Amino acid sequence: MPVSFIVQMAVSGALMGLVYALVAYGFQLTYATSKSLNFGQGELVMVSAFATLSIMGTGLPYPLVVLLGLLFGALLGLAVERTGVRLALEQKSEGWILLTIIIGLFLFSFAENVWGRDDRPFPTPISSQPLNILGIDVTPVELSVAVGVLAVMLLVEAFKRTTLLGKAFEAVSADRDASELMGISATRTVMLSYALSGAVAALAGILVSPITTVGPTMASALVLKAFSVAVVAGLESGFGVVVVGLFLGALESLASFYVGSGWRDAPGLVLLILALAVRPTGVFGKAVIRKV
Amino acid sequence: MLKRLLLVRGAELLLFALLAAIPLVVTSSYALGLLTLLAIYGILLIGLDVTVGYLGQVNLGQAAFLGLGAYAAGIAVTRYGAGIPLALFMAGGLGTLLGALLALPALRLEGPQFALATLSFTALTATALNELEWLTNGAQGLSLQVPPLLGHALSKREFYWLCVLAFAAVWLAMRNLLSSQWGRAFEALRDSPIATDAMGVGTYRHKVAGFAFGSGLGGLAGGLYALNFEYLQPQGFQYELTVILLLGVVLGGRKSLWGAFVGATLVALLPNLLSSRFLFQAFSALGLAVALFAGLRGLARRTLRPFQALAPIVATATLVAGGFLVQNTEDWRKAIFALMLFSVVVGLPEGLMGFAGRALAALFRVAPPPLPPPAPLDEVLPPHLASGAPLLVLAGLKRWFGGVRAVDGLDLTVRAGQVHGLIGPNGSGKSTVVNVVSGLYAPTAGALSLRGAPLPQGSLFQAARSGVARTFQNLQLFSGMTALENVMVALRGAYRVPLPLICLGLGRGEERRAQAAALALLDFVGLGDQARTPARDLTYGAQRFLEIARALARRPDVLILDEPAAGLAHPDVLKQVELIRRVHQRGITIVLIEHHMDVVSQLCDLVTALDGGRVIAEGTPDEVKRHPRVIAAYLGAVEPAVEPAAAPPAPPAGVPAT
Amino acid sequence: MKRLLALLALTLALPALAADTIKLALTGPYSGGSAPMGVSTLDGSKLAIAEINAAGGIDVGGKKMKIEVIERDDEAKNDRGALIAQELASMPDLSGVIGSVNTGVVMAGDKYLQEKGITKIICPAAGSSSMTQWANKPDGTKGPAQLSIFRFAANDGIQAAMVVEEAINRKLFKVAIIHDDTNYGVSGRDDLLNQIKKQGGKLQVVTQEKFKIGDKDMTAQLLKAKALGAQAILIWGIGPELAAVANGMAKIGLKVPLIGGWTLSMSNFIDNAGKNANGTLMPQTFIELPISPRAKAFIDAYHKAYGVTRIPSPVSAAQGYDAVLIFAAAVKQAKSTNTVKIREALEDLQAPVKGVIATWRKPYSKWNPADVDTHEAFRRQQVVMGMVMDGRVIFGSEADRLRLAKEQQ
Repeated sequence: MPVSFIVQMAVSGALMGLVYALVAYGFQLTYATSKSLNFGQGELVMVSAFATLSIMGTGLPYPLVVLLGLLFGALLGLAVERTGVRLALEQKSEGWILLTIIIGLFLFSFAENVWGRDDRPFPTPISSQPLNILGIDVTPVELSVAVGVLAVMLLVEAFKRTTLLGKAFEAVSADRDASELMGISATRTVMLSYALSGAVAALAGILVSPITTVGPTMASALVLKAFSVAVVAGLESGFGVVVVGLFLGALESLASFYVGSGWRDAPGLVLLILALAVRPTGVFGKAVIRKV
Repeated sequence: MLKRLLLVRGAELLLFALLAAIPLVVTSSYALGLLTLLAIYGILLIGLDVTVGYLGQVNLGQAAFLGLGAYAAGIAVTRYGAGIPLALFMAGGLGTLLGALLALPALRLEGPQFALATLSFTALTATALNELEWLTNGAQGLSLQVPPLLGHALSKREFYWLCVLAFAAVWLAMRNLLSSQWGRAFEALRDSPIATDAMGVGTYRHKVAGFAFGSGLGGLAGGLYALNFEYLQPQGFQYELTVILLLGVVLGGRKSLWGAFVGATLVALLPNLLSSRFLFQAFSALGLAVALFAGLRGLARRTLRPFQALAPIVATATLVAGGFLVQNTEDWRKAIFALMLFSVVVGLPEGLMGFAGRALAALFRVAPPPLPPPAPLDEVLPPHLASGAPLLVLAGLKRWFGGVRAVDGLDLTVRAGQVHGLIGPNGSGKSTVVNVVSGLYAPTAGALSLRGAPLPQGSLFQAARSGVARTFQNLQLFSGMTALENVMVALRGAYRVPLPLICLGLGRGEERRAQAAALALLDFVGLGDQARTPARDLTYGAQRFLEIARALARRPDVLILDEPAAGLAHPDVLKQVELIRRVHQRGITIVLIEHHMDVVSQLCDLVTALDGGRVIAEGTPDEVKRHPRVIAAYLGAVEPAVEPAAAPPAPPAGVPAT
Repeated sequence: MKRLLALLALTLALPALAADTIKLALTGPYSGGSAPMGVSTLDGSKLAIAEINAAGGIDVGGKKMKIEVIERDDEAKNDRGALIAQELASMPDLSGVIGSVNTGVVMAGDKYLQEKGITKIICPAAGSSSMTQWANKPDGTKGPAQLSIFRFAANDGIQAAMVVEEAINRKLFKVAIIHDDTNYGVSGRDDLLNQIKKQGGKLQVVTQEKFKIGDKDMTAQLLKAKALGAQAILIWGIGPELAAVANGMAKIGLKVPLIGGWTLSMSNFIDNAGKNANGTLMPQTFIELPISPRAKAFIDAYHKAYGVTRIPSPVSAAQGYDAVLIFAAAVKQAKSTNTVKIREALEDLQAPVKGVIATWRKPYSKWNPADVDTHEAFRRQQVVMGMVMDGRVIFGSEADRLRLAKEQQ
């Protein structure tokens, strides 16, 4: 087996891994402010992609379509926060796990009935004609995913570090009650994080749809992987998801090759359970000190 | 007593009698199929409720155990010609075994991480069942035939009765388990995992055992599932099923056998509910009526937040409207299920049975069975000999948090039978010393020994098992449990009956003895008449006394009291002092951390003063009180320049004769 | 509320009406991943039923009776399928069942129908085991003497034979088999391997690769095939993943023919693979081209009824349509709505049925557990090779087109 094949496989897998990372990043955004995350994030990716497809049908120019798609995702994120998360956070319960699962179930059924059960192609101005870079075949669509993922993550991190609103994120994350006392509205910060997370989900949908096509089930496999990536990296670790995403993506591809394509997901899953057992807060997470 | 039997047991008897009798009247094979599924799901959901309800963790792994059990039974039957009992044993056994294996790593996690670990296990199981074609026949599925039971070929109806029998047995076993120390331990570790460990009840091992037990029930249900459908495919046991099962438990009501039954009924029957538009419309109208009633009442009485009242109304109204607008309700089944669940989770967070259970409990007040007379105190708390020999010795103890040296080279000897005071200003390291000795923190360096043997480090549970008991400055009672149960959880050496026998109901004798012992301790601290009061409803003073009673239940060698008088009103302080003195009189060695100097003076034989993580003075209360460095430390005066290395801990004080 | 009461009255009144209708159950996955096939079959069947009812119904012993549809979504789940089968089996006046896409659902459910003798036409599930489960087994176990289960689909055995034949004819001797990890894909793989052996072992299988439903990156599997020098990809799977394979082949520059099961004609493959789908070959029972007046009428009626310009799964729709016509013919011949009488009529159908796929002459005969073909309607000659070209399915060979057009005159 020529080395170039191995490299090609690892690169293809790693590019998919970046998509996991992007969805995983959406988990982290909300976890940072509220210690909660949307178990129905995959449905957000899917519904946003469908909505973007519908907007595209009106014939608007592509950049505007993308913008509207992101806006739609943000609104959906806000809706999830309002209906599924806020009450549970106020009651300091873990009801959000159930409620976000339920909302996901609803969105899935909604999409099935409104947009149909079939997968559909997602047009994009970016070419899917493969380029050969250093002996490796990559399509510009795949590259656009990589660029989009890194760009949006840099942008959000810059926002968190440089703007006042962004710093509120950190404050609420560190101590919700104390931030409230300091005049930062925790509720509003959590809302903002859900809106951002929704927009990130929409972006993931828009970037990945040209490759995966759009359908009600498009994100159900994706979101499980993203979940693994987020937790293995550590739910509070910003860029850790990129490293873990790339690694997991490449690992899957290589496992498929060496262990057998039916076992493709297995190494990642085993790794996940073990990684959690060794470091419950994630590879890039911080350890917690118990207090009484 | 009779009323209790009639109401509680009567309802259960009626349920199972009804379940068993239905097929005598209804002969449709379809109804029989549904009922069989209901009984199987009942077992499955009771198992799932162990983690979701009693351990309080979101478990997305139950579908995997259903699958594993199903395949274990299927393979046992097809390949090894096993009979029904062996097949079911294999199914339950595999579930228990793999449950324990998964729990070992997974139960170190909480919340979303735990949910994810179990979800990954589900995915992994499906992959393995699909790929191990030589064993499971992979995606093409495994066909099997129900073997005869004791030479008798089972009809569908007889098989149903078998399932009901299994369901009843599981129900009974679960009830016995929950009314034993196991049930209390589950409750306790959800309230305060730290206190549970500190009381010598291993949080982790109870979680693992609970999860394994629940998974074993999942496996057993899987075995019945395989025998019922006689055809298995790996794809059936995946994410969607596991989510539906979880939602079934929540919908029915967590921490409730009846809730599991209601959940199972809904999961099994719901898809069929939607095949008739009329039924669906009737039910959604009923749902709206309930949501309107409960919501408006809650709003009027201000027991519900506006969102909690209004969201279910909107959701059920959507259902009603949808029933008329949508052409084919089957197409929207998932959305309908989601809306129903949403209404229940938001409006009735305790589930249908939690809600109904409270209403019924209010209607039929049932007195709990009477308590036994308290046991003799000398039996429960045998008097120790106060020898004065070194008992607890800390040598060169250090505990750093990053750059902060909370304890920085501490030597301390606590002698048997003494009350040893530990004082010092805030941040002097007292609490850290307590937390290291009791095992919450592992020391950075240094040695700990109790009775000359090294004390286990960094494990609350192991330290407690070695004879250290403690109370907490910020109370860590099991607030949902009664005073009696709080003490019963901690009783040392009271529970010896193994789990299988408890499930069979053979733990009742030891349960009565434990009650008697716990009552004796409650009497000792003056709470004998409040044994049935939930801890959270006790006065603050009583809660402090209860913590001491609970710690005494450990029959400790060393009792660490962490600011026992903090926040107490003056009369309670006096009571507390008197109580500690009585504990001391029984020869129990006490380490007392306290700010009230008069309390320290009244009780302590010897006092050690700490500052900056080191000993600055040691002696009788009077000596220490007058020590210049102690005064300086408390008043914040400039410390006289003393070379740290050269500083002797304190003038050696004579040990008072004992 | 008034409407609710009216509905209540209607529901209560239904049993009274029931005696005047022929109850036919349609089952299949109408939601979830296999829904496109399930829904197309359902739509095809409903189209035929609507036409029959519009013409006044079926003449049952001198009395015109309409068909009443009982629709059940099995969600492609085995336990749902088993329960639905039990429900249908306990309906006293059910005349028959048409449906099922997933072989697993068939395996889990059909035994209840067979037990009660309810006539069922499996359509369009193609997995071999759906029928072979009733045949005599190699280990000597005998199948049942009477069988109420029929199939109306080109089974995977026929399809696999054609796929292997095609590869041999095109002299593509080194092939890679790629399939999904469901019952459908795995038994397709086994059928292919079986056929390769049967046709003289001329093909060398360089690798066998799997993918999961929902997988979108097939690079690893395809690179392996490429590295091992595969000259053709033989594939068994469903729509979107097939498209991912075609697109992946284009990406890594693997330019070899893609040949596989009939599902390659579904719109979710053709649309999502775009031009990468061109040249793909697969056995078809129906191609959406107006080669005859009958085919044209069906295609036009379908487009009009469901507001589309292309049938999502023409094979499923046409099979669903023809299955109803055959069932109706059996009811007419049996002069009864009794499901056992209908089975007997199906096993000995006198009048030819003019369907859109073919004119069916005695599609079934008396069940023989030694020969499952007695309850299989499709033979090799009713199946043609189709080819995807620019978003449409066309005939792979002109000869087939002419032959079918002639037959349907």
